[in-house]
Amino acid sequence: MKTKYTLKLTQPSHFYFVSFLTIGTLLLSLMIWSFYKEGQALQASVLQQTQKEAQQELFKALNHTLDTTYEQLQTLADWDEVHQQMHNPSYYFFWHDERLKESTYFQPYYQEIELYNSKGSLLAPASPQSDLDSLLPEHIDTLPKVSLKFSRNHLPYVVVFHPIYQRDNQELLGYIGLALDIKQALFKQNQFFYLDKNSLMFEPASSLSTESVIDHIQFKAVENPVNAYLWELIQKFILELIVTLALVAGMVMLLLNKLMRSPLITLSNYLHNLKANPNSEQRPPAETFWLKELEEFKETLFEFHHNLQQTQTQLDQQNLIVWEQARRDPLTNIYNRRAFDEAWNEVIQNYHKHPIPTAFMLFDCDFFKALNDTYGHEIGDEVIRISAKVIQQALPLESPAYRIGGDEFAVIIQHRNKKEILETAEKCLAALSDYPFQSIGIKEKITFSIGISSLATQKEDFLTNLPRQADIAMYKAKQSHTSKIQTYNLMLETEASALVSNKVINRVVASAHTGKHIQLHFQPIVALNNPTFYYEALLRIEGEEGLIQPYEIFKVIERRRLEVEIDQQVILAAFEVLKSGQLPEHSGLSINLSGKTLLQPNLVSLFEPFVPLLQRYKVVIEITENVLIDHIEYAQKVLNKLRHQGFKIALDDFGSGYSSIRYLASMPVDIIKFDMSMSRALGSDSKTQQIIMATAEMIIQAGFDLVMEGIEDSHMLEQARLAGATHIQGYLLGKPSPQFISPPALQLP
Amino acid sequence: MSQPINFLRTIQLIAVLLASLSVSAFAQVVTHTIPGHDLKAEAEFLKGEASKPAVLILHGFLTTNQFHTVKSMANAMQESGYATLSPTLTLNINLRKQSVKCNSIHTHTLQDDINEIQAWIAWLKQKGYQEIVLVGHSSGSQELLAYLEQQQDPAIKLAIFTSLFYLNGPELGTQPLDIAYAAQAIKDNKLTPHKYSFLFCKKDYYATPESFLSYQKLDRSYILKQLSNLTIPSYTLMGSADKRYQDVGLNWLDELKNTSTHLILVEGANHFFSSEYEFDLQEQLIKILGQHF
Repeated sequence: MKTKYTLKLTQPSHFYFVSFLTIGTLLLSLMIWSFYKEGQALQASVLQQTQKEAQQELFKALNHTLDTTYEQLQTLADWDEVHQQMHNPSYYFFWHDERLKESTYFQPYYQEIELYNSKGSLLAPASPQSDLDSLLPEHIDTLPKVSLKFSRNHLPYVVVFHPIYQRDNQELLGYIGLALDIKQALFKQNQFFYLDKNSLMFEPASSLSTESVIDHIQFKAVENPVNAYLWELIQKFILELIVTLALVAGMVMLLLNKLMRSPLITLSNYLHNLKANPNSEQRPPAETFWLKELEEFKETLFEFHHNLQQTQTQLDQQNLIVWEQARRDPLTNIYNRRAFDEAWNEVIQNYHKHPIPTAFMLFDCDFFKALNDTYGHEIGDEVIRISAKVIQQALPLESPAYRIGGDEFAVIIQHRNKKEILETAEKCLAALSDYPFQSIGIKEKITFSIGISSLATQKEDFLTNLPRQADIAMYKAKQSHTSKIQTYNLMLETEASALVSNKVINRVVASAHTGKHIQLHFQPIVALNNPTFYYEALLRIEGEEGLIQPYEIFKVIERRRLEVEIDQQVILAAFEVLKSGQLPEHSGLSINLSGKTLLQPNLVSLFEPFVPLLQRYKVVIEITENVLIDHIEYAQKVLNKLRHQGFKIALDDFGSGYSSIRYLASMPVDIIKFDMSMSRALGSDSKTQQIIMATAEMIIQAGFDLVMEGIEDSHMLEQARLAGATHIQGYLLGKPSPQFISPPALQLP
Repeated sequence: MSQPINFLRTIQLIAVLLASLSVSAFAQVVTHTIPGHDLKAEAEFLKGEASKPAVLILHGFLTTNQFHTVKSMANAMQESGYATLSPTLTLNINLRKQSVKCNSIHTHTLQDDINEIQAWIAWLKQKGYQEIVLVGHSSGSQELLAYLEQQQDPAIKLAIFTSLFYLNGPELGTQPLDIAYAAQAIKDNKLTPHKYSFLFCKKDYYATPESFLSYQKLDRSYILKQLSNLTIPSYTLMGSADKRYQDVGLNWLDELKNTSTHLILVEGANHFFSSEYEFDLQEQLIKILGQHF
C-alpha cells in the first residue's frame, strides 16, 4: 500500500514562518558557503601564484649564484697566485690558509677552496690545522659536476669544480674545487621577495647539472601578508555578513510577526470569538496593528458584525411579527388554526414525557349561518370578533383561545381538575350570555354550545382523541336548549348512535380507518348539449347483512367525526377506479368532499396522483355550499390551486340550504349542482318556477355549468332543458350502481 | 706664459695617445723561459729601427710591464725608432700578469730578478740587438744596478735610472727585528713565509725569509756605490715632487749628484712622472738617447 503524502496549501502561519526561515537560512548559508569557498580558492590561487613566483625566483637566483660562482672560479683560475701555486705549491698551506682568505678573490660564503693538479690530486694533502671533514675530495677523476653536500654541522654546500689552464698553451693545469655555502651565497647575491629564506631545505645529491640543482631544494613561498590580510578581510567580511544577515533576518521576522502574523492570529481569534458568540457583541481586539489596512480590516470586521447583529435583531423582530401574524386570526386577533395545531402537537409531545391533566374545550355559536344570512357577513364577523374577545377574557391567562373554524373556538387547559374546568366553561358561557349583542343590531338571543373532554376523566383513552370527544360533547350541547355545556363521556357516543346497530357502527368506523368494505357506486351525469357524460362516485359500505344505507353511514361518520378519514378512503378508491381503466374514455368522475376534509392542509397533495389522469378523464370535486361560505377565503385559495391543475369544482346541493346568491360570483367553482328539491320545484307553481328559471339563467350567464339532480322522468328532463341546465342527473338516466352503466342517449337540441 | 705651454702639452698628449694606440697594434707579447728556473716570463716587445739600439725597460716594485710609467717610456722610445722590451719579472709566478700584493707569498729573490734581466738581455741579443740600453723605474732601476754589479755585458751601452731610491733603511721603515727574524729563520731552516715590513708593505709583506732578506742588500750606500762603480754612462731622472724625499731626505739628490751618474731633475714630477710629466720624462729619455745614438 502506498501512502500518498500531499501538502495542503492551507497551513497555520507559523508553518510558513518556519518554512520561510528555514529556506532563507539555507539559501543564505549556501551563499555564504559559496563565498567562503570563492575566498579559499582565491587564497589558494594567490598561494599557488606566490609559490610559482618563489620557484622562478629561486631558479633565477640559483642560476645567478652558480653563474657568478663559475665566473669567480674563472677569475681565480686566471689569478697569478693560483698559477704560482700550481707551479710551486711549496707554500700552498700558507697561501691557502692565509693569503687566499685575505685576498679579494675569497668570498665570505666560500667554505672551502682547494686546488687540484692536472691529475686530479690535491696540490697538497689536507691542511694540518684543519680538523674538519673536508667537503672537497682529495682526488677527482674528471671534472666533476655540481653536487650538494652537508657539512658536519648539517649546513648545505654546493661543491663545484673549475679547470685551470696553462696560460700560454691552454693545457690543463689543474682544478679549483669550491664548497660554496649555498644559502649564504644565495642570500648575499640575490634579493628574495617571494621565497621564504628559512624554508630552504636541501637534499644531498651528486653529479648534477646546474639546471637540476633546484630539483633538490625544497622551499616555501613567503607568506604573503597581503594575501593573509585579504583572507583575514574576507573572513571578517563573511562574519560580518553572517551577523548582518542574521540581524536583518531576525528584524524581518520580528517585523513580519508584528506586521502580519500577530495581527492575523489576533484577527483569527477574534473571528473565532465572533463565530462562537454570534449573538453577543464582541469588542474588537484592543491591540493596535501597525498596518493601516489590517487596522481598517479589524474595524470593518467589528462594524460588519455589529451591523449584522442589528440586522439579525431586526430580522428576529420581523420574524416574530410574521410568526405572530401567521398564528393570529386577523378577524379576532386571537390564535388561529395553525397556532392551535402547533400548540396541540406540543401538548401531545410533552404529555408523553410529563403526563399532566389536560382538558379540551370547544365553543360553537348556535345557528351562526342563519345569523350570517339574516344580518349579513359583517355582522357575522362582528359576532365572531366579540365572541373571541369575551371567551379570551373569561379564560385563565395561561389558556389562550384558538379560532379553529368559522364560529368554532378551541381551548386547551392544563393543570386543572374537572371542577375548575367546568367552572371555567361556565364562566365563559355566562360572559357570552351576558354580552349585549343588541348593541350590534342583533335582536335574537345568541346562544353558544361548549363541549369538554379531558384526560382526567378518561385516563385509559388517548390524548389525541380529546378533540373528537369534545366535538361529540359539543354536538350533544347543541341538541340541548338548557345544558349548553356538555362534558364527554362514553355514554354520549352510544347515545348518538342509538338508531344505528353496533355492527353497522363498527363496520363504518373500521372502513373509515382501513378502507375495507368500501364500495363506490356510480350515477351518471349526462350533458344536455353534447353526447358526453360522467359519474358521481357515491360511498357505500358493505355490511354483514348487505349494503349499509348511506344515511346510516353518514350518521356514524358525523357522530364519530370521521369525515376526514372516510373522505381519504373514498379518494383512494376513486383513484384506483380511474387508474384501473374501468371508466369509459372521455367520461369522468365526481367525488364528494366534506367540509373538514376541505380544511385539511394536505388537501392538494391528496389529489396529486390524479393529475396525470386528467388528460383522459374529467375529475370533479363536489363541495357543499355551507363549507364554502364558512371558509370562503381559505377555500378560494385551495380550490383555485386545484382548478389550476385541471380539476373541476362543483357546488353541491345548491338550494338545499340558504343558497345565498350574492356569494355565487366569488365562489371558486365551475359547476353548480341544483338540489333535487330545486329540480322538483320546477314543476311547482309558476312563481317558484320563474325564480328557479331566473336563478338557473343567472348561473348559466355567469359561465358555470349547471347540473340538475333528481331528474326522474322525461317531463323533468324537459323542464331542466327549459331552465338551461347543461347536465342532468337522476333515475331517468341511471341509479347509482357498482358498475358503469352507460346512460341512455338523449335527444340533443 | 704657462697657458700656451699647457695647451701645447695637451696637444702633445693627445698625439702621443693616438700614436700609442697605433703602436700598440704592433706590440708583441713574448714569452721566455728563464733558464734554470722552470718558469716562463712574459714581456712586451716593440720593434724599432734596426740601426738603433734596443731598450730594456724594467718596472718597479711588485708591478708589471703594464705600469703606466713603463708603457709611457716604451712608447716614447719606440716612437723614436728604438725597439723596446718591457719584461714582467715573474716573481716566481709563471707568466705573471698581475701586480703582486704585499700579502702574496713572496718567494722570489733579488738574484732571481737579476737572472731574469740577464735572460731577457740574452733574448735581445739573440734577436740581433748589439746595442742595448737599460732603463729602469724605481726598484727596477735598483735591480738593474744590481744586475750591472754582476754582469758587465759589452752590449749594454747606456743605463737610465728613473726615480732611483733604495729598499733598505730605517728611514724607509725597515725593521731590524724583521731582518733578525729572517736571518734566524734561515739559520733554523724554517723557510715558511712570514709577514714583514717592507717599504709600503707595513707588517704584511708575506715572504719567505730568503726572499725578504735578498732585497735588503739594496740599501742607500749600495745604490750610491754602484752608481759610482758603473762602467757605462748612466743618467738618473728624478721628479722634484717625489714624496720619497720625505723619507730619504732631499739630500738624496745631492748624494746622487755626487756619483758618476748624470742627474736630471724634472721639476714638479712625482715618483711616477704622472700626467703631463710623462712628456718631460719622454723628452728627457729621447734627448738622452739622441745624445748617445
